[in-house]
Amino acid sequence: MSDALIEAHGLFMRYPTGWLALEGASLAVRPGEFAVVLGANGSGKSTLLRIVAGIIKPTEGTARIAGQEITRLTGRALADARMAVGMVFQHANLVKRRSVLANVLCGTLGRHRNLATALGMLPKQEIPHGMHCLANVGLQEFAAQRAGTLSGGQAQRAAIARALAQRPRALLADEPVASLDPEATNQVMRLLRHVAANEGMAVLCVLHQPDLARRYADRIIGLRRGVVRFAAPPGEVTDPEIEALYEGTAR
Amino acid sequence: MNSEVSGPVRVKSIAVPPIRRLREIRSPAWTLLYIILFLVIVIQSGVVVEARPQDLLTGASGMADILARSFPPDFSQFWPQLWPAFETVDIAIFGTVVGVIIAFPLAVLAARNTTPARLLYHGARALIAVCRSVPDLVWALLFVTAVGLGPFPGALAISVHSVGMLGRLLAEVIEDMDMGPIEALGTTGARRMQIFSHAVVPTVLPSLLGIALYRLDENIRSSLILGFVGAGGIGFQLLSAMNLFQYRTVSLLLIMMFVLVIGAERLSAALRKRIA
Repeated sequence: MSDALIEAHGLFMRYPTGWLALEGASLAVRPGEFAVVLGANGSGKSTLLRIVAGIIKPTEGTARIAGQEITRLTGRALADARMAVGMVFQHANLVKRRSVLANVLCGTLGRHRNLATALGMLPKQEIPHGMHCLANVGLQEFAAQRAGTLSGGQAQRAAIARALAQRPRALLADEPVASLDPEATNQVMRLLRHVAANEGMAVLCVLHQPDLARRYADRIIGLRRGVVRFAAPPGEVTDPEIEALYEGTAR
Repeated sequence: MNSEVSGPVRVKSIAVPPIRRLREIRSPAWTLLYIILFLVIVIQSGVVVEARPQDLLTGASGMADILARSFPPDFSQFWPQLWPAFETVDIAIFGTVVGVIIAFPLAVLAARNTTPARLLYHGARALIAVCRSVPDLVWALLFVTAVGLGPFPGALAISVHSVGMLGRLLAEVIEDMDMGPIEALGTTGARRMQIFSHAVVPTVLPSLLGIALYRLDENIRSSLILGFVGAGGIGFQLLSAMNLFQYRTVSLLLIMMFVLVIGAERLSAALRKRIA
C-alpha cells in the first residue's frame, strides 16, 4: 500500500441530488501498473476518477497521489499536487487553433508559473521535452500542424503527449477510447500500457469495454453500484464476474 | 419526387395531420380578422405621425429647389473636408479599440462559465446592459456636456456604447466555448491566469476579431451621426453646411459619407472573411 502511486480509501460520494455514486470504494495502483476500472453506466467509475484527480471532493474517504492527500487540498496546494497526476479525457480537449506542439507544451505550464506564461507565452526551454513526448506517441512530424487538423486517434495521442509533458507520476484516463474507431482504440490502449511499463507510471483507466480491459490491463477493477467487487489480473477474472457488473443495470 | 409508382397504386391509410393546424384550410373569417388587425395598426401609425401626403406634393417644388442648389457638388471643398472625414474614421477606430479593451475582460466576468464570482457576474452584466441600452447619441450629448465640443466626446461615446454591444456578444461567445481544453489545463496544475491565456484566449480570438471588425463598421456609421450633437467629424461639417444653406457642400459631404460607409463595410467584410 505504501508504494502505491494512486490510492483511494473508503470513498463515499453523495451528489446534491441525493444520488449515492460511491459506497466505500478503495483501490491502489502501483508504479508501472496499468489498471482498468470496468463498470456499467452509473456504477460510479467516472466519479471515482474525478475524485482521484482532485476535480471533485468526496463526501467521505481519502485519495492520495504519490503520497499527497489530494482530497484534502484546495487552491494552490491542490494545483501543485495535481502536477503529479496527468489526465486524459474521452475527448482530446486540445485547443484546436494552436499547433500540436503548443498544446503539448501547455502540459508543462504548472512547472513554469511566471508572467510570460501567464500572458500566453510558452516555455521555450521545454520544446525539446515536448518533442520527445510527441515522439513517444508517434506524432513528431505533426508538431507544427494545427491541432484541429488531427484525426480523432491522433488528437487523443496528442492529449496523452500533453499529459506526459507534465512529467506526472500517475496517469488517469476517463474513457479515452469511447469516441475512437477500433484501430485508433488499439493504438491508444497500447500507448497507455507502454507508458505504464516504460515510464514506471501508475495508470488508472476507466473503460466501457470488457474485451479491451482483458487484452491490455495488468489488473481489472470491477465497480458495481459504487462498490469495488473485484480487483485482479485479467487471467483471474472470470466472464461471469464481469457480466455480473452489468446485470440489472439500465444500459 | 423522383420516385415513380409502377403497377397498381396501393392506397395506404396516411396519418392525416389535424386539419385545424393547417394554415391553408383555416377559416376565412380568421384571415379577414388578421387583415383588419394589420390595417388598423398601419392606419393608427399614419394618424400618430400626422402623415399628410398632400404636403409632399406641395413641398415637391421646394425639394427640387434644394436639389438644384446642391448640384454640382462643390469639389473645391474636398481637401478642407478631408480632415473631418479622417476625424470621423479615427473616432470609430479609437472607440472600437477602447471598446474591445474594456469589453473583453468585462465579458469574461459576464460569462457564466468563466466568471470568478456571482457578484462580479451580475455587476458585469449590469454594466454591459447600461452601456448598451443608452444610445451612442445620448452618450455623445453627455460627453459633450462633460468634456466640451470636438472629436473626443464622440470617441468616448462610441467607446462606451461599444463596450455594451461587444460585451454582450463576447460573453455569448465565451459561454458557447468548448470547456474541454479548460478542464484539461486545470488538471495539469496550470494557474487560473495561465488557463485563461492559453485556452480561453486562443479559442475565442477569431470570434473576437470578427465581432470587433463588424463593430468598427457600425461605429463608422455612428461616428458620422455624432457630429450632429457637436462631437466632431464629418457630421458636424454637414450640420454647419446645412445651417449656412451651403447645399453644394452638403452634397459633397453626402458623397464622402457614402464612400466611407460602403468602404468600411467592404473592408470589414473582406477582413472577416480572411479570419474565418
